[in-house]
Amino acid sequence: MVKRLSAEQRRATIIEVAKRLFAQNGFHGVSIDEIVNQVGVSPSILYRHFDSKEKLYEAVLQEFSCTRESYVETIVDDDIGFETVLRGMTRVFISSIVNHPDLMKMEMHSQLEGSTASREFFLNRWKSFTDYIEYNLTELQAQGKIESINVKAAGLIYQGIIRELLLTKCLEPTDRFSETSIDDLVDELITLFLRMINIKK
Amino acid sequence: MSFDAELDAKGLNCPLPILRAKKSLGELTSGQVLKIIATDPGSVKDFEAFCKQTGNELMSSAEAGGAFEFLIKKS
Repeated sequence: MVKRLSAEQRRATIIEVAKRLFAQNGFHGVSIDEIVNQVGVSPSILYRHFDSKEKLYEAVLQEFSCTRESYVETIVDDDIGFETVLRGMTRVFISSIVNHPDLMKMEMHSQLEGSTASREFFLNRWKSFTDYIEYNLTELQAQGKIESINVKAAGLIYQGIIRELLLTKCLEPTDRFSETSIDDLVDELITLFLRMINIKK
Repeated sequence: MSFDAELDAKGLNCPLPILRAKKSLGELTSGQVLKIIATDPGSVKDFEAFCKQTGNELMSSAEAGGAFEFLIKKS
């Protein structure tokens, strides 16, 4: 006998399947029919849980934000040194993508097709880094510890480096970096970034 | 409730509000209170974790008009 799922379990299953399909094909590339077929329920059951495909997509994002990475430990254990905190935060962020590669795939799709809500969601994740970099570099400049640079551009460079790293190591692994672990590559890239902004000689 | 210093962390994403709070607390003496206003919803959990780990007391955590207000007493 097939065991009936509780409403809560059913909702979780729909989100799981939708997450996989949205990651594969993007928001517009997935139909409600496809989702219900794979879950094995009727559309009316899906609509009992989610008013629309948009609401279902939002629920998938919501679930990711519940497992949102926390940078608190990185800060508490440290003497608030820019380099150490940036390295720590990056490691936390990278491991969150390694554990949830679907999130990165959904972000890539959303870049092209995204609704305002999904763009904001993904932008917000990067904002933790750009805020941190902009604030600290502004302070270091004021203290005369680094040369004058465009701090917003520095944030953008950093975001580009890490996003490309994630594509290279998590989404489209290539032979070129197969012998370097993701952690080693992160460390090297951050060192290059720090040199670029003249923090590390 | 009274406080000794105030930190405006509106519009900033975590961990920046936490970092700035840590810095502000460093300038206070034991028993003094820091008020922080933030808008990142993640700051609620983050300030709880921060206080738990640092031993500072999270006296209150409240939401009003889309902003979050925290009162932290330095240990």
